[in-house]
Amino acid sequence: MDLIGLFLLAFNATLINNYVLHYFVGICAYIGVSKRIEMAFGMGCAVTFVMGVAAMLSWSAIYFLLQPGAPLTSFIFKTIHPGSDSVVNLSVLNSIVSIFVIASSVQLVEMYIRKFFPALYKAFGVYLPLITTNCAILFACIEIMKHVGKNAVEPWGLDKALLLAISAGMGFTLAIVLMAGIREDLENADVPAPLQGPGITLITAGIFAMAFMGFTGIDRGLAVLFGR
Amino acid sequence: MLLEISLLAGLVMLLLALFSGYSLGWANKTFHVEVDPKIAQVNHVLPGANCGGCGYIGCADYASAIVLQGVSVTKCPVGGESCAKKIADIMGVEVKQSWPYRPVIHCAAKYPDRLKRIPYAGEATCIAANLVSGIQGCVYGCLGYGDCVAVCKYDAIHIVDGLSVVDYEKCIGCGACAKICPRNIITMVPFKMENIVAIACSNKDFMNDVKSVCNVGCIGCKACERLSPIFKVANNLPSIDYNQYDPGVSYQAVVDKCPRETIIYVGKPSQKDKDAVSKEEVPKPVEAQFKTTVDSTEWRG
Repeated sequence: MDLIGLFLLAFNATLINNYVLHYFVGICAYIGVSKRIEMAFGMGCAVTFVMGVAAMLSWSAIYFLLQPGAPLTSFIFKTIHPGSDSVVNLSVLNSIVSIFVIASSVQLVEMYIRKFFPALYKAFGVYLPLITTNCAILFACIEIMKHVGKNAVEPWGLDKALLLAISAGMGFTLAIVLMAGIREDLENADVPAPLQGPGITLITAGIFAMAFMGFTGIDRGLAVLFGR
Repeated sequence: MLLEISLLAGLVMLLLALFSGYSLGWANKTFHVEVDPKIAQVNHVLPGANCGGCGYIGCADYASAIVLQGVSVTKCPVGGESCAKKIADIMGVEVKQSWPYRPVIHCAAKYPDRLKRIPYAGEATCIAANLVSGIQGCVYGCLGYGDCVAVCKYDAIHIVDGLSVVDYEKCIGCGACAKICPRNIITMVPFKMENIVAIACSNKDFMNDVKSVCNVGCIGCKACERLSPIFKVANNLPSIDYNQYDPGVSYQAVVDKCPRETIIYVGKPSQKDKDAVSKEEVPKPVEAQFKTTVDSTEWRG
């Protein structure tokens, strides 16, 4: 097991290339549900969970069905065309299958939360279905897409895909909880009237993003430190 | 070749659809939550203002409280009687006569009546001013910085001469002003008449202690208690038992007897009041000119 590689991958996805503050994806949930720390933490956990499930499912779908020469589709193709040596490539379906998988896993999570955590379900309100259209999750799937298949530069197994999704979700949770903490205090601050509400929130998010730019380059330093 | 690949793609999507459809159907059965259909019906009848006047987070929350916990159906201040009747029909209960709740300001002192005020240049909110000791002589009365005005969504409360005045024509009784007031001088009162008797003072001091800080405040003389049984004086301050308040009885004698201006009528003006002022000239309302009028936004950075 390449532990250092896994650590670098997780560190990279959590802090250096934080999905919210470096790639600017998943902003709607980030701004929408960051008013209270408990709610923000719940949202972060839900996004992390959905990201993990969606990453696992879409990795499996791409690996077994869609990548060039995928085992299942090749098998079906060989039974129709015995003796043909052409490679089956269904990777055009990558994105749509990912979207499909995300939508259904969000539905599943919604039912699960409604049954077992009614308070959390009530607190989320409209934002739970919003995870469906949360670009952070699709972004994680796209990231995984690049690393599945024989033609990929650096092919990932299921473990690495899952690790990337969970650490990216943790990065999202970190960002949204920090933001919620600041917004709770902002309510007591004397914000000039034109900037109240969304204005000061977006400014805060921008300053946050600039602060997270400070992590840039640490991964290279760490790689050197670990002798890679 | 292309045809086969397209068919294969369709097959893959079909397989995935079957798989996720089956698992979602399974989850729907396993994680099914029983919801009483009455909740949706009650929620449909409620006005949907989500003002929180009933004491619940929103209309949906109140609807589920009615159905699940058997809470009273008359709590909605916006929908009023007709709404309560509709909910009672759905729930199969009878509704007794209910009164709309409206805020009453328990202070009558305008700026000139409030003595021993000090100049204050801090943040112009009551919550901030209330932290300053000795900001005015009366530690119970209205501060006049208008937190209640800011919180009112219906433009139904205004500061007139330093005192909050409720516009009962516009008020819907959501109780936001009563919650925000840092000195707790606003209470919600069942309005049995359009024009109701109220105590307009919160000062719990006695005689000269009150006279030294206020020109109109209650001195605790107990004259009202002697005249009518619904008035009870405790801590040198009368209170009205609105459960015993009878809309048919005139309390004018008590109002006249009060040596200070503590017991007053509040509410919508009666026809008599309107007739009394109908001959007075009313100044024409001035339209704001947006090119020259500055709004109340303040730069306090």
